[in-house]
Order: sequence, then C-alpha cells, then structure tokens
Amino acid sequence: MTFRQARYDEPLVCELAPGRAAGEAPAAVPGLPERWRRKAPIDWPELSELEVVRHYTRLSQMNFGIDTMAYPLGSCTMKYNPKVSELLARRRTASELHPYQPEETVQGALEILWRLEKGLTKVTGLPEVSLQPAAGAHGEFSALLMVRAYFRERGEDAQRTEVLLPDTAHGTNPASAMMAGYTTREIPSKDGCVHVDELRAAVGPKTAAFMLTNPNTAGLFESEIVEIAQTVHDAGGLLYYDGANLNAILGMTNPGRMGFDVAHLNLHKTFATPHGGGGPGAGVLAANERLAPYLPVPRVVKRGRKYALDYDRPKSIGKIKTAYGNFGLDLRAYVFLLSHGEEGLRHIARRAVLNSNYLAHRLARYLPRPFRPLVKHEFLLSGAPLKERGVRTLDVAKRLLDEGVHAPTIYFPSLVEESMMIEFPETESRRELDAFVAAFERAVTDTPENLHAAPRHTSVGRVDEVLAARQLLLSWKDLKAAGANLEAFRR
Amino acid sequence: MTFPLPAEGKALWTGRLAATPGSVVARWIPGDQSEEAALLKELGLHDVEELFADVPKKVRLGRLGVGAGKDEPDVVRTVDQILDRNRPYSKFASFLGGRIGTRFVPAAVDAILSRSEFYTAYTPYQPEASQGTLQAMFEFQSLWVELTGMDAANASLYDGATSMGEALLLCHRVHDGHRFLVPASLPWEERSVLENYATGFPIRIESIPFDSRTGGLDLAGLRTEIGKGDVFGLLADVPNGFGHLDEGLFELKGILGKVPLVIGADPLALSVLEPPGAWGADVVVGEGQGFGMTPNFGGPLVGLFACRKELLRVAPGRIVGATRDVDGRRAFTLTLQTREQHIRRSRATSNICTNQSLVALAFVVYASLVGARGLAELQGRITERAHTLASALGGIDGLSAPRFEAPYLGEFALRVGRGSARAFLDRLRRRRVLGGHSLADPRPGRPGLGEELILTAARDTTDDKEIQRYARAARAALAATGAA
Repeated sequence: MTFRQARYDEPLVCELAPGRAAGEAPAAVPGLPERWRRKAPIDWPELSELEVVRHYTRLSQMNFGIDTMAYPLGSCTMKYNPKVSELLARRRTASELHPYQPEETVQGALEILWRLEKGLTKVTGLPEVSLQPAAGAHGEFSALLMVRAYFRERGEDAQRTEVLLPDTAHGTNPASAMMAGYTTREIPSKDGCVHVDELRAAVGPKTAAFMLTNPNTAGLFESEIVEIAQTVHDAGGLLYYDGANLNAILGMTNPGRMGFDVAHLNLHKTFATPHGGGGPGAGVLAANERLAPYLPVPRVVKRGRKYALDYDRPKSIGKIKTAYGNFGLDLRAYVFLLSHGEEGLRHIARRAVLNSNYLAHRLARYLPRPFRPLVKHEFLLSGAPLKERGVRTLDVAKRLLDEGVHAPTIYFPSLVEESMMIEFPETESRRELDAFVAAFERAVTDTPENLHAAPRHTSVGRVDEVLAARQLLLSWKDLKAAGANLEAFRR
Repeated sequence: MTFPLPAEGKALWTGRLAATPGSVVARWIPGDQSEEAALLKELGLHDVEELFADVPKKVRLGRLGVGAGKDEPDVVRTVDQILDRNRPYSKFASFLGGRIGTRFVPAAVDAILSRSEFYTAYTPYQPEASQGTLQAMFEFQSLWVELTGMDAANASLYDGATSMGEALLLCHRVHDGHRFLVPASLPWEERSVLENYATGFPIRIESIPFDSRTGGLDLAGLRTEIGKGDVFGLLADVPNGFGHLDEGLFELKGILGKVPLVIGADPLALSVLEPPGAWGADVVVGEGQGFGMTPNFGGPLVGLFACRKELLRVAPGRIVGATRDVDGRRAFTLTLQTREQHIRRSRATSNICTNQSLVALAFVVYASLVGARGLAELQGRITERAHTLASALGGIDGLSAPRFEAPYLGEFALRVGRGSARAFLDRLRRRRVLGGHSLADPRPGRPGLGEELILTAARDTTDDKEIQRYARAARAALAATGAA
C-alpha cells in the first residue's frame, strides 16, 4: 500500500497568535478582592473558530486511528469502534446529566448501568460488578484495596504482604500492587506459561493474591488454571484476573468458572469503546461473594421498578473516583453488548483467535515464534535473528509505519528477546491480514539502511527520544524560555 | 502444523454463525463462513473449536444467558427508550455544580473530538505516526502550566479526586512524615478517594477544622498541627468545598515552611486568580471536565496535574516533551517514561496507563475557542450571576445565602435553616429547579458536613428568570416545611 501521512509545519495553538491578549488586565470580576486578582492574563491566544478548527483538523491528520489503519498492537485489542455507540452517547438524554441530579431524574442512566452490570456478571461468571474505575490499572488498584479490606477483616492483613505475579504480567500489575502497599514477587514462566511448581513453592501465609492474565501476554491460554487456582486458594490467597485479554475467551470460559475471586475488565478493549489517543477508558470490577461486599460505593440497585444508588455498604472501600465511573463509555459498552448478544460475543472470541492463529502461521516464515503453536488472540515473534544484519525489532516496527499499518507492541513481554506482540481483533478481515503479511515481508526483507532510516512517510521522521529526555521542554513556557534554541527545531 | 482435536462435549456450543443481514457478524465481524473456512484451511483445521483445545473442558461454558443480539435499528430504539427516562438538567432551572460543571459546550469542540483520527487512536507510543495526539497533549500541558504558574504538567490523570490521591503519594515520597492534612470542608468523595490512595502506606489523613464564619481553614488549628510535626503535606482547594476563596491561603506557605503544599484549583477560576505558584504551591491539581465536556452523568472527567520541576521525576502519568526528528524538524514524544509502569513496574511512580487523553483534548480545544480574555470574561459573568442569585436567595427567611462570609466566584454554600437540605432540594425539583447538591456524606453513620448545607452554582447560561424561579420555589419549599 502506498502510504503518505499528512505533514504540516503546524505551529502550536499558542504560536498562532501569540500575545494578542497580552498587556490587558483580565476582565473585572464582581466582588473579587484585589489581592486575589490575576495581574497578567494567561498567555493563550484569541482565535476565530475557523482558526481553531483548522489547527486541530490538521493535527488529526497527523495521527493514526483504527478508522484509517489496522492497529495490530498486542494486548491492546484495537477493534473497530462502532458508530452507533458514538451516536447514542451524544444524545442529550445521556450527556446532559449531572451526577448529583436526583435519582428520579436519572432513571434511564441508572438502568443502563444496571443492565450493563448484569450483562457483565454473566460474561465474567462473577456475581457482582462495579463500573466505577476509570481504567484497567485503576481497576487493579481498587481490587487490591478490596483484597486488603478482606484480609483486614479476617485479621490477616499484617501477615499477607505479598502479591505474586508471573514474569509475563502487564506492567500495571506490579505497579498497582505497589500502590496498594504490597511487595511483589515474580513467578518464572515455563514454556511461556506459569511454572506451577514455582508457584507452589512461592505461595504461603504471606500471599495476599496472585494476579494472572489468561490468556497471558504470550498469547497462550494458561491450561493449568484449575491447578493454579487450587494452589493459591489452598494457601489462603486470592486469585485476581487481569481482563486485558478477555477478548480471546468471550463466551468460551470466564474468570468465575476458572476460579478467580475478583477481576477487572477493560471496556475500551473487549467492549470496543474508543481509546481516544490514550484514554478515557473504563475499568470494571467483578467480584465473587467473598469480595463483593468491599466493592466501591455507590452500588446501583433495582427496587421494584425503580433504580437507585445504594450507599449503605458498611464493608465497602468507599470511593475510588468522583461519581460512578465513565458513564459515557459504559453506555457505548452497553450498546456493544446489546448488539452482539450471546452468539455474537462467542463469535468475537472465535474470529479473534482464528485471525491470530492464521497470522501467526503465516508470519512464522519470517521470524521465529517462541512456545507452542496454538495461541489465542495474540502471539509473539522474536526479532532476535535480525540482529545478525544489524537490525532490531524497533527498526521493523518503524518500517511497518511506512506501510500504512501501526507497529505491533514491541519489547514486551521481556521473556522473549526482541519481542513483537501482535493482535488482530475480530473486526479485521482476511484482506487486512494478508495485507499485513505482505507488509511484514517487505519490512523484514528490506535493507538495513532502509530499516534504520524508517519511517520516511510519516508526519515526522525517526524522533530523537534521548534529546527529549535531556532537554525536558514540556510546555510552551519552556519553549519560550529556551529562546534562541527554538531555532534548532526549524527547518 | 496441527493441533490436538478437542474432546467431544455436548455442553459445548459448536454452532457456526451465519452472516445474516443486520447481524453483528455482517456489520462488525467481517467475512462469511467461506472466509472462516478459508482461514481454517490454511491452518489445516476444520472447525474453529479446534483452536480452543487448550481451554480445559472443566472450565468451558454452555450458554451465557445474555440474550440474542439486536440489529442497529433495534439497538437505537431500545437504548433511546431507556435514555428517554432521563430528564437532562437542561430541562430544569439547574444550579448543580461542585467539581463537575454544566457550562455550555461550543459545537466546534465535539466536531474536533469526533475526528476519528483522534478518538480511535491508541496511546502515542509510536511518535512518528502520532504527532497529532502528541502536539495536542503538549498544548494541554502548556495550558495547565499557564493557568497554574507551575513549571510542568502531565498529560492528564483520571479526575480531580484521583489527581489529589496521586499528589498525596508524591508528597509522601519526597517528605518525611505520616500525617497528611486536608480541610474539613473537602467534599466527602475526594476525602474517600484520598483515604483509598493512602491505604497501602503508613499515612493518616487528618482534617483541619474550618472557621465557622468564613468557612476557611482554621489557621490557629493548622499552626498547632504543623507544630506537632510528622506532617508530610497539606491540601487546600480553590474554591474550597463551600465554593469560597479561602483568604488563609496567602499565609499557608509561611505556616508550612518546608512541608509540601498541594493546591486543588478550578481551571476557570485560575483564569482570573493569581496563579497558585504565587501562594507557594508545590503541586497543583484540578478537575478539567468543565472545559469542553458535558457532565455525562459524571464521566469521563479529566484530572489535571502540575508541579515544580524538582518533583517531576517522581510525578505520575504520561508527559509529552518537544524534541526533533532525524531531519531536525520539531517533533513531540512521550518522555521521562522510566517513571512509568510499563518500564519500571513495581518501582514506578504510579500504576496509571490509560489516562483521559480525549477529554484533555476537549480541555485545550475549549480554551482555544474561548480565548484568554474570553475565559476571564466567562468567569466574570458567572460570578455576577452567582452574586445575583445569592442576593435573591439571601433575603428569604430560613435561608443563609451564602452561608459563609468570604469571597466567592460561581458557587457558594447555602444553609437551609428549616428541615433537611435533601427535603428542600426534593421540593425544588418538583418545581423544576435543581437547586444544588447536599454536602452531607450519603453513607450511613459517617460523620461529615451537616445535613443543612447545599452547594449551589450559577452557570454561564443562568438568566434572571431562572434565578427568580429558584427564589419562588425556595419560598414555597420552606413554607411547605414550616407547615409540616
């Protein structure tokens, strides 16, 4: 595919009309004492609507999105974001609702939350759900606070200080454990899956929880999940499900059936709410009977035909953010659930796993695949053999951008040298899969010179990240202060 | 390559799905059975079920019980029917506020947010292909730096409350002590979020009482607490939980000495106020939803976070920096990533990964449409409306409006002298007035602010008729309470 990304020399919005308001005192504010009054206005421009719209439209054209490009980022589940969800989320009956409105005036919103929660209890096999967390990592953190509250009530909190996780765990897992005050311990993998003997040796009276993603970040289903659950529970620990990879098993199995006590889901992955250039997402907490009393408040309840917010949960951890979660995204996820239904959900897993195995099979010609061949929604390749030619995985990733496809997730998980993690969700057609194979072939067979020079067709060429970290220019104020050095950026 | 065949199991669902018109298989999952069959053939397989041979039978599912899927017209009809049971605040005379605002959103904001190159993009980990998101986030950081007078800002956190939580942990990292002080007037939700962020650490969150006349921090009490030592930070908010500007703020740095100061600030207020840098703030956090987003029943919101440069390396969240590309062109990229969870894992400064990028985009687009002068004028107009409202309500027997004697901008605390605030608000609602929200903690048995306080806010669109309607409804509500 011939691909050329838009390339504008677009100034910062603040550079479009610098200082037009400068020198003027800000508008008078009634009743504001002089000592509070801002003396100099903020340095921000006064622009026409067209100037603003044109600026940000140009910036948008210097971006990749799912609507323009395939996005094979492993563990990110970059599937199509249905337009009908966008339409419905923008209804005034959804958007013009303040969270502190009386319950009588927001019955529809509460019903959406309630229905989505009920649907997700079925998807997860766990009986209670809270939609409050803003993102996956936020859900992990909240769940670990619930784990802490559970052990505190049992008088085991002081003793259970450790969270175990496999060496393939997402980085958010150990970071969330740290935020919840736990120390972490990594369990080594064997052939890409949890080494159950190592887990047996590690669990004990100090274990608070074992955090597991299944299928894991190597794209492998942890087939020994029943033994894993048994091992953790026998030691008195709790089993935590990281739902980042739920797409692969929708309707096939679920965290409850596998023996997990608590789970988070990423609605922005599995349930197709847009990633927004890095957020907002929506985390979901699902818990079994043991942990459900600790879920955040309020809980949405149905009393007769009326929906209400219930704050009377004495064991609850309380609030983990303002209001009730990212409602705008919950609504989109509900639309997705409603559209798919029983068979549609199952078909997601089937097609995502089929896409992944097909692509893994085709790409194994070019680079080695670690571990067993049967994968789930994603798979790993190792770029290690490229090193003989002085080429790295990073170079292939950059070269793929020139093919008009996003790069895979790279250098994660770290148990595979020069790893590439590839995920093509169910919304990608065979045509896109085959186009990616062709693009991949051109990339890995290109000359080292071309690979090092890539990308050439994106809005900017290879970016100097070392310089960024060294000069730390993080705002327009920094750029102004750098003064003459600014010229270094100009062509 | 062959896979082991799965064991036969009657309970397992093995049906194939036909791409019937209107079904999700035709709409969102491409290809028909022949495409599926062709892909399987390449793998030497006959049935997709063979790809799930590694999922033990013991954990396989029968049916989920979520019902059949719906086509698009049916989905739209179903969801609209549910949403029609809502009554948006725009159908009322609304005075709801607090950290979540209901200001008018210009159409151009959503036009930009609807550019799918923005909203369907992932985190800009490949900077060459993501300059749009990166430059917009750099502009967002620049704006929060301008408003706060701080050295640097990050590219957003979840919301104002979680930004406070992250600020608490940052202070704990850089200053010895176990006690973190907050105003007793802090909204209960933020207090609860802070307690959760503190759970895993030897931290006690303690309240500084408020002055009964001004609602501001009791400075004598604060001095005493600081004097006892072991304090690693203080949070103060502008406006405070009562909607007021706390005159004590100007004295905080003198009282705190080296103890870090976190300011929670409303971005629109900062367009007319001296920046918190001037009060000696070390970290400035805030809620940014009011710039370009409708409330959406409380989410998505956007957490604002800025700090002094010396604290940057222990700060949470993504940060965008300017650099150049291989040809010397200006370019933007994520930087200081070694603080983050995907690199540093259990030694990261925070676990945050997904943030609120698109809402941060709305924030900077809104400010650019309104302009520096426009923001200050807007705050001026809303302030005038709030003062007119206070005059209209203050003259009513049974109400104190505002309850406290201190300067305020767009909102203030209202005291209901007769009956509970909740009953009063309920009576207003029946007269098509959303009069504000109760400041009491709704959790049973929790000590908190009194049942008699309401936070009431003016909007940019509040007109005289709405103010008169509030006053009439308030009189009627109080008369009904008196009669009962």
